[in-house]
Amino acid sequence: MDRIVEEALRYLGASGADEALRRRAQEAAQLAAAHGAPRWRYAVFDLIHTPDGVALPGAGLVLPGNTAGRMLAECSRAVLLLCTLGLTYDSWLRGLQKRDMALAALADSCGSALVEQGCDRAQEEIAARFPDLYLTDRFSPGYGDLPLSVQPALCRAAGGVSLGVYVTESYLMNPQKTVSAVIGLAAAPQRARIRGCAYCALRSQCTMRREGSCCDA
Amino acid sequence: MTLDGQRIMYLDGAMGTMLQGKGLQPGERPELLCLTHPDWICGIHRAYVDAGSQVIYANTFGANALKLAGTGHTVEEVIAAAVGVARSAAGDAALVALDMGPLGELLEPLGTLRFEDAYNLFVEMARAGEAAGADLVAIETMTDLYEARAALLAVKENTALPAFVTMSFDETGRTFTGCTAEAMARTLEGLGADAVGVNCSLGPDRLLPVVQEVCRTTRLPVIVKPNAGLPDPVDGHYSLSPEEFASAMREMVQLGATLLGGCCGTSPDYIRALRKATADLPCPTRRHEAGSYLCTPTRVVCIDGVRVIGERINPTGKKRLQQALLAGDMDYIVDVAIAQMDAGADILDVNVGYPGVDEAVMLPRVVKALQAAIDLPLQLDSTNPVALDAALRVYNGKAAVNSVSGEEKSLQAILPLVKRYGAAVVGLTLDETGLPKTAEQRVTIARLILERARSLGIPDEDVWVDCLTLTASAQPEQAEETLRAVRTVTEEMHLQTVLGVSNISFGLPNRLLMTQTFLIRAVQCGLSLPILNPNQKELMDALSACRVLSGRDAGCADYVARFAALPAAAPASAAVPGLTLEEAVFRGLRGDAVRLAREALPDHEGMALVEESLIPALDRVGAEYEAGRAFLPQLLSAAQAAQGVFEVLRSAMDAGGRPPEKGPRMLIATVKGDIHDIGKNIVKTVLENYGFDVLDLGRDVPPQTVAQTAAEQRIPLVGLSALMTTTLPAMEDTVRLLRALPQPPRIIVGGAVVTEEYARHIGADAYAKDARAAVEAARRLLGNA
Repeated sequence: MDRIVEEALRYLGASGADEALRRRAQEAAQLAAAHGAPRWRYAVFDLIHTPDGVALPGAGLVLPGNTAGRMLAECSRAVLLLCTLGLTYDSWLRGLQKRDMALAALADSCGSALVEQGCDRAQEEIAARFPDLYLTDRFSPGYGDLPLSVQPALCRAAGGVSLGVYVTESYLMNPQKTVSAVIGLAAAPQRARIRGCAYCALRSQCTMRREGSCCDA
Repeated sequence: MTLDGQRIMYLDGAMGTMLQGKGLQPGERPELLCLTHPDWICGIHRAYVDAGSQVIYANTFGANALKLAGTGHTVEEVIAAAVGVARSAAGDAALVALDMGPLGELLEPLGTLRFEDAYNLFVEMARAGEAAGADLVAIETMTDLYEARAALLAVKENTALPAFVTMSFDETGRTFTGCTAEAMARTLEGLGADAVGVNCSLGPDRLLPVVQEVCRTTRLPVIVKPNAGLPDPVDGHYSLSPEEFASAMREMVQLGATLLGGCCGTSPDYIRALRKATADLPCPTRRHEAGSYLCTPTRVVCIDGVRVIGERINPTGKKRLQQALLAGDMDYIVDVAIAQMDAGADILDVNVGYPGVDEAVMLPRVVKALQAAIDLPLQLDSTNPVALDAALRVYNGKAAVNSVSGEEKSLQAILPLVKRYGAAVVGLTLDETGLPKTAEQRVTIARLILERARSLGIPDEDVWVDCLTLTASAQPEQAEETLRAVRTVTEEMHLQTVLGVSNISFGLPNRLLMTQTFLIRAVQCGLSLPILNPNQKELMDALSACRVLSGRDAGCADYVARFAALPAAAPASAAVPGLTLEEAVFRGLRGDAVRLAREALPDHEGMALVEESLIPALDRVGAEYEAGRAFLPQLLSAAQAAQGVFEVLRSAMDAGGRPPEKGPRMLIATVKGDIHDIGKNIVKTVLENYGFDVLDLGRDVPPQTVAQTAAEQRIPLVGLSALMTTTLPAMEDTVRLLRALPQPPRIIVGGAVVTEEYARHIGADAYAKDARAAVEAARRLLGNA
């Protein structure tokens, strides 16, 4: 829970929060956890490198661009992962916005932290399924040059229907607290490739980044 | 073959996973195989019939106009082919169901598809299915009760076919949207489904509790069509063998389910094993739990004791609500609802009747706004059948109608609506001859209403009787007649009773005492549904005590929880010594700020408080925020504290006969395609606290709507938000339309992906990086910085 609070404050650019704000964030984190338990689905596909990008024929999906090519360079298979807090979290957060916008802003960030934590747990589960293989960092549409337009096929192949995840015409995922990701499986150890703002899911709304600084995560 | 629920009937198993086995490609529309590979489909159907399926589902799960868009094929064409193939495979051995799955887009308020549009998409399918010769319609794999309602209404209103409805529940016993099995059963039975149940999501081993709940809460035959367990994420294999599946299904029969089949991962082998395992089982007689209920998808309210109906959404005598209705201000109405919910109301009465308000438009609009924000069931309060029809149609769950009377015209207009939508109804005990004088006359009218309701098939538990509270100051002898009638209706007719209790004290001093005393007496006589103001703590306190004394509060637990936590005679809030109003707002202490404002008012002008305390506090927190010493939640807390103070000032000004001055008008919206709107809502909260009169058009707003509203209402300033690179073009379009207006408003843009440069490029007047910057920009652009 402490980690959720710290992450949520960091997303809000409020790592320097005072004691009173920290208590509010703890309240928000407890409420958030009570209303949104992360659930995930994943599916594993063989991949081939083609001139158009990394193809996952079994998923009916091609991942174009340098990011996917580089991340999956040494991989023969990839995991497509979806993790969500579900629609009921969105409904609850909408109601909370009517009651207490300050708490809702904190709970919104706690939700982002919770879904990331869910991805971490899913990743542990995947690692345990493949004790002889090495996992790459996970990366998502919108990171680097992996386009958002792969979102519909990625969600479908990962089991979006059975998880209740929808992709809108403008490639937004609904429920709002949803992460889709690709993780490569390789025979050799994979070095960490993802660091810095370019790969951060929050880069677009990060207050630190707007002000020219960085959290070094 | 009859559908009586008395004997087991076997449905089919999976189509989709069977087709994947035949070579269906990822992303390919399975429904089109009826045109390209009818032999595949026919073979699968025939294998199910050979395995013993008595109902087969045609390959039409996703044959709706949304999913077929761009395929070059029409709904009629695909459905005719699919039903034709199924019919040829079925022969005389099985019935053919038109299969209708989810549309693939989320309905409002979770998504953006309108209920009415969903209904029309299903109508197209249902008509095509009937024309093609389907024997019934199977609506399945639904996760949103709203969508299931749209589909069922489409079938019932446009075909003569029976309808099965199944939804998909996970291990929490709820669907993705939070819908419970009980809410599904109670809502869909009322709407005229012929059988209800569950399909997909899990194996039968994990669905037992959900099926148990369905069997307990409906009189209808129950369908169970589970998966063959869970798929392995690596190899895709389902976890249960045909025998394991069939063995778990035996327990479903013992619970009372009679329509049995399989979903993802099952095959004809599973159906064969299922038949073998269950053929010898007797079907037990189910015990359906009778009683009066209302529900929303996520909350079922059982009237098994006193349940409070909140009365505050009624414009009579409430100036602020009247203004809100005339202006279409849904936010205020939602706030009134939330306050009642938090005060303990179980059901909310909704009355929007006021001169100048078109009830037929406003009642459904308010219903939609309320069900997007709260999950209490609603009682729709109107005598206008057109308004009631429109509102019942869009209400998601089982509602109550307030009211029908014993007048012939009312009985004829209202009761058929109650039946069609499966609602409960309040019967007012008055008729053409006017207000009855005695308890006996009231009971006679109640009996007439009950008889007429029964003749339409409305169950007794859905007929509630209002024995009419008259004003004690005018007709003191009538109180006793009302109470006697409540007792008779409760004890002899065994119906629920409703009373608007606060009428009793009209025109008297110490109204609360009179209302409270009447309430307690009425509850003793059997009143189950008082309509009252739940914000009046004394009334809710009295009901809490009544519950203890009638043995409905085990161990006095609720009573103790309600009162034990309250320190005796504590001050309204623990005052911080020396706390000023400015400091309270600065620190976001809403309770203290409101109290200090009330204390200060007798000696200070409202405007002086604003100028000397409020604005300096907000400016201070704003400056701290700019400097990185305060953060967004603190900015918002201060804004909320200021809002509380504004409410105090507004009521004081209202009471003093001076209409409160409104600030500069501004329109705000999240652009078309963007459904994430917390950022926009944050900006709105802060703007309102700097005095802006903000008209919020919501999220996913088309450019034309923004431009048209700005033009019609002569809005001087528009704020637009966009979150995704994919929705920036919609922002640009909106700005272009606004710029082309004869009197173009000033425009501020913001949101995750918007930059200063982009704002300039599309012709906005200002870019705001956050809520605080939006206030600065708005002040600057309107020239009152």
